[in-house]
Amino acid sequence: MSVTPSIETLPLLPDFPPEQVLTYRDGQALCRDDFLCDILWLAERLPEGAHVLNLSHDRYWFAVGLFAAISRGALSLLPNSPAVEHLAAVCAGVPHLVCLGDQDVSPLAGVNYLRVGEAVPATGPRPEMPRIACEQRIACVFTSGSTGTPQPHFKTFGRMWLAIAAGAERLWDAAGGRCSVIGTVPLRHMYGLESSVLLPLWAGGRMSARTPFFPADVAAALAELPAPRLLVTTPFHLTKLLDADVEMPAVAALLSATAPLSPALAARAEERFGAPLLEIYGSTETGQLATRRPARQLDWQVLPGITMRQENGETFVSGGHLEAPQALNDHVEMLGPGEFSLLDRKADMINVVGKRTSLAMLNHLLARVPGVRDGVFCLPPAGRDDEARRLAAFVVAPGVSANEILSALRPQLDPVFLPRPIIFVDLIPRDGNGKVQAATLQALIKAHLGGDQAPAAVPLLFPVEHPMFPGHFPGRPIVPGVALLDAAQRAVESATGLTLAGLATAKFHRPALPAEAMRIEWSLEPAGVRFLIRSGEQKVADGRFLLAAKASA
Amino acid sequence: MNTMGQPTTALCEPDSLLERDVAALIVSALNLDIGPEEIAPEAPLYGDGLGLDSIDILELALVVSKQFGMQMKADSEENYHIFRSLRALTAYIGEHRTK
Repeated sequence: MSVTPSIETLPLLPDFPPEQVLTYRDGQALCRDDFLCDILWLAERLPEGAHVLNLSHDRYWFAVGLFAAISRGALSLLPNSPAVEHLAAVCAGVPHLVCLGDQDVSPLAGVNYLRVGEAVPATGPRPEMPRIACEQRIACVFTSGSTGTPQPHFKTFGRMWLAIAAGAERLWDAAGGRCSVIGTVPLRHMYGLESSVLLPLWAGGRMSARTPFFPADVAAALAELPAPRLLVTTPFHLTKLLDADVEMPAVAALLSATAPLSPALAARAEERFGAPLLEIYGSTETGQLATRRPARQLDWQVLPGITMRQENGETFVSGGHLEAPQALNDHVEMLGPGEFSLLDRKADMINVVGKRTSLAMLNHLLARVPGVRDGVFCLPPAGRDDEARRLAAFVVAPGVSANEILSALRPQLDPVFLPRPIIFVDLIPRDGNGKVQAATLQALIKAHLGGDQAPAAVPLLFPVEHPMFPGHFPGRPIVPGVALLDAAQRAVESATGLTLAGLATAKFHRPALPAEAMRIEWSLEPAGVRFLIRSGEQKVADGRFLLAAKASA
Repeated sequence: MNTMGQPTTALCEPDSLLERDVAALIVSALNLDIGPEEIAPEAPLYGDGLGLDSIDILELALVVSKQFGMQMKADSEENYHIFRSLRALTAYIGEHRTK
C-alpha cells in the first residue's frame, strides 16, 4: 500500500477481492462490492457541484456518504459538534450544499437534505472501481478558533491514504494481523475518521457500523465481529468499561486517543483484555503522527516517514502524509530520531473527557451572552472523578440567571463544555492588558469552589491483601513501580484539581513493602508537579509529572 | 408537562417509591447541586431540563447497573427515550431490574 509521489491517482477502495468482507452492518457481513454499490448509487444522486455535509450517525452510512462524495469529486464537511450554531457556522458561506443523514428529520433547517440508510439491491454488472486524484480534497475537519469561528482544515485523498497506511503498519503489527474494528468514538473527529472508518476500509480490516455506548453494548458489538478485533476508544470510555462488571470478548489490540492515558489505566486495560493497548498522538491539523504503548513505554514513536525538528522553541513535523511542515500545539522533548516525550500541552487548550477546545473561545462566547458584563471559564479542582471533570465559569451579570446563560450557550457549544457551576461574582479583577491573571483565577477558585483545603501531602499505604502482591513477586512481595506512580498521580490530581499529562521523570530509590506507611508530597512548579514518596525519612521514589492543561484566561 | 397519550412507561401508575430512589441516585451519582425532590418527574434530563449529557448518562448507567443488577443496553434512539425523564428512567429500571 505504499504510494510514491509519481502516482497521481489511487482506487477509491484498495484492490482486495470483491467478495472480501469489508464491513458489518446490523450483524450482517457486507463485501467490498455491496459497499461499492451503495456508494455509487448514492453518488449518482448527489447534486452536481455541491459540497456534502455528512451528518449520518451510523458508521456504515457515514462511510457510504463520504465515499460517494469522494467519487463525485465533492468535499465532505465534517463538523465536530452537533450544536446548531456550530453547524450553521460550518455551513456559512458554502453556496451549494447538500446534507446527508440517516435521521428522519433534517438536523439542519434550510439546507437541501438527502436521507440515506436504505440498502440498494445489487443488480447489473459488477461495479467498476473509481480512481481518485491524490490531490483531490476529500474532507474538511474543524478546530475551534479563539473567536468562536470554526477553523477549516482540508485533507486530500492521497495524504489521508498515506496516513492510514503508516498507522496500519503499527496497529496490525501490534494486533498480530488485520482486524475487525469497532469504535466508541465520534466519526467527525480526525481520530474517529482515521481509526474507526478509514483504517479498516483502506488497510484490509473490517469496519463495524456500530458505535456502542454502554459497556454491555461494547461487549455485544465486539462479539458480533470475527477475531482478531481492535477496539478504538478513549480513556474516558475505557475507564467505564473496566469499572463495569461485563464480560468482554477477546480483542487483539486496544487503541486510545484524545486525552492523556495514565500508564496505570493502560496497564489495567492490558491485563483485563490480555492485549496490547496503543495510544495515538495527533491533532486535527496534522492527523495521526505517533504511537506509544503506555503500559510499556512513555515515549512516543513517530509513524514511518514522519520527521521532527525544533526551532526557536517550536516543534515542526514534516514528511509522510504532511503536505508542508506543521508546528505542533504541544511542547515536546526530542529524544532521538523518531522518538519524543510530550512535555506540556499549550496553555489555552483544555480537554473535557477527550474533547478539546480553547478557553479563549469559551470566554469569547460567554462575553457575548446578553446581560453578561464579564465572564471567565476555568477548570476547578477535581471533586469525585478526575475523568469527568467539568468546567466552571465566573460571571458578572446582574439580573441574569444561570439558566438564561446556559440557554444562550447551549446552541453554540458541545454540552460537555457548558459551565457547571456558574458562579456569580461582583467583579472579576483584570490586569492592565485586560487579562485575568492565573493567580486571580486561583484566588476566585479558592474563595468559591473550596480549593483552599488542598493539602500538599497525603498518606499512602498498600494493604498486605492487595491482589497485586502474590504475583509481584511470588514469596517476596513489593509494590510495583507503576502502582506507586499511579497512586502519586491520583493523589496529586484529586487534591489539586490539576490534570496531569503523564510522567516526565521518575526515580525509584528503594522498594516499597506491603503495609508500609508512606507519604506522597508534591509541589507545583513551572515545569510540572514535582513529587516525592517517602517512608519516614527515606526516599522511596521521586519525579515530575507534566501538566495537561492550565487554567488561565 | 402533560403526559396523556405519550408512551412514557409500561406501567399504569408511576412507581413513586422507586422514582424517589432513582432521583436520589441521580443526584448522588452526578454530584448535582440540588435535592432529589427538585427533579420534576416528567422534565427532560437531557438539554434544557436537568442539562445532563452523554458523560452523565454513562456515569449514571454504571451506578444503575450496580444498584439494580442490570446492564443498560440501548441504541442511541432508545437511549434517548430511557433518559428522557426521571419517570421514563424509573419505568425502564422497573422493567429490567434483577435486584
